[in-house]
Amino acid sequence: MPTITYTQPNGTQQTLEVAEGTTLMRAAVSNGVDGIVGECGGQAMCATCHVYVRPEYAQALPEISDDEDEMLDCAAAERTDRSRLACQIKIDAELTEIVVDIPAGQL
Amino acid sequence: MTTQDAQCPFHGNSETRGDDADSARASQHQVHTIPSQEAADYPVADWVDVAALASDPYPIYARLRAESPVAWVPQLNKFLVTNYAGCHAVEQDQEIFSANVSGATMTRAIGAQPMLRKDDPEHSADRAPVNPVLRPKSIKEVWGPVFEGNAETYLEKVAEIGPHEADLNRDYAAPVASQNLIDLLGLKDVSVEQVRRWSHAFIAGMGNVLDDPAIWERCDASTEEADRLLEELIPYYRQNPDASMVSAWANSGLPASNVAANVKLTISGGMNEPQHMVTNMVWALSNHPEQSALVFTDPLLWAAAFDEAVRWQSPIGMYPRETTRETILEGVRIPAGAGIGVVVASANHDEAHFGDSAADFDINRPKRPHLAFGSGVHLCAGHWAAKTSIGQIAVPMAYKRFPGLRVDKQRNESWDGWVFRGLTSLPVTWN
Ligand code: HEM
Ligand code: FES
Repeated sequence: MPTITYTQPNGTQQTLEVAEGTTLMRAAVSNGVDGIVGECGGQAMCATCHVYVRPEYAQALPEISDDEDEMLDCAAAERTDRSRLACQIKIDAELTEIVVDIPAGQL
Repeated sequence: MTTQDAQCPFHGNSETRGDDADSARASQHQVHTIPSQEAADYPVADWVDVAALASDPYPIYARLRAESPVAWVPQLNKFLVTNYAGCHAVEQDQEIFSANVSGATMTRAIGAQPMLRKDDPEHSADRAPVNPVLRPKSIKEVWGPVFEGNAETYLEKVAEIGPHEADLNRDYAAPVASQNLIDLLGLKDVSVEQVRRWSHAFIAGMGNVLDDPAIWERCDASTEEADRLLEELIPYYRQNPDASMVSAWANSGLPASNVAANVKLTISGGMNEPQHMVTNMVWALSNHPEQSALVFTDPLLWAAAFDEAVRWQSPIGMYPRETTRETILEGVRIPAGAGIGVVVASANHDEAHFGDSAADFDINRPKRPHLAFGSGVHLCAGHWAAKTSIGQIAVPMAYKRFPGLRVDKQRNESWDGWVFRGLTSLPVTWN
């Protein structure tokens, strides 16, 4: 099964096996992963699902849409060139493994 | 690609969460399956006094959280969910906890089913077209100056009324919230009074569980007036698109009936809550002078003041859902077809989530998610608009215009409601 690994700011890691079609936000919220709030349910309206994607997985990601770009500017933690909204990244045939870092704050 | 130098218009501000609008939802479902009492294997809170809820709900919420955070309340014909974990769990699962509740007076009141009574994917089709209007950039750049102009206009009126007579609810919060909504929706030339009348008529209809014919009459008359206006506006905006919500919907390819239903939903839900937040904030700051002193010296704290006030005295206290099948919530078995009241005002005072000081107003509390704007796919569509128009504009401008602005203790204030709760009058004075 595809896997998502979430790294907390203190370095602890949690790896989830997930079904294709789920997003990084949905998997985290359903499994109680700390530090991903996802309050708008995945509509790119809240920026409380901000993650930093490890560079080795960047290739496999969809482009950042204008909506995502705008909302990333509103994330609570610093935006970097690894920043993405977890609700806009779907696990699928192109992306069967990913490792992300969770920022220190989402609010 | 990433534009790191772009600035969020809210940079440095804290996050809030959304809410929603319909008024009546709280009191609505009369016709669900009523779980049979003999077989009840869930807690029953038959002591809840509905009149007491409307005058001060917080002691009742505290007892419900302590005794049975998921409990059947026969007087309301629904399960009330009063702790944070339970409310959050409901919001995460629209398949089990549907927003499409039976006997929805909301749908009757506005003549069609709005997005707030739909689940995805139908909900998303209605909502997606207006999300771009309501994201932070458009709110700040396009609508910020409009909200400022409206605040300016009504501050002048408050100045004319003066520090012995002014009522912040009647003279400022109400007209500012109404005019802001008229502009953001793009309703053009309708008056503040007319939209307030529509809003109140829809809200009364949504709460009309007893089928009072006079309430339906007023509601139907407002529906007809609003529909007639939209019959002109929708074709107009197809020819002349702009940055307003009606324009976005008119050009979305949605049928006109969906557009009309969602405009009427927004009229019902987008006015009273921002209005209540103007008075809530001034009341909270006036009663906590040490904290207001901090805000006045550091304007970045306005965001925290708004966020804490909306958590502390949430304008929407409860909204409904309905179970699509039997389920277990917080260890309590709930039958299929049961009405659920998601009591976010109580969740927002849950000590298990906010710590022992949950009941206090504290703009410096550690940031934790709250549920004043709801959560999940129905997260308030207008949450950035509310944070900006009230938290960044209407309230800070009032303090700037009237140094020493505070509650006038010589005159009486009043609070009302639990499903929707706020100040119904707030006499203010200044130096
Ligand atoms: C502080 C002010 C406000 C509060 C506390 C608030 C609260 C809420 C809440 C709790 C919900 C979710 C209800 C549910 O899930 O059943 C909601 C939804 C909604 N709100 Fe607000 N609201 C506010 C301001 C506004 C404004 C200014 C607008 C106008 C654009 C607005 C438009 C809406 C709409 C259209 C929905 C339905 C969203 C959906 O179904 O996806 N609200 N609001
Ligand atoms: S969940 Fe709201 S932006 Fe991702």
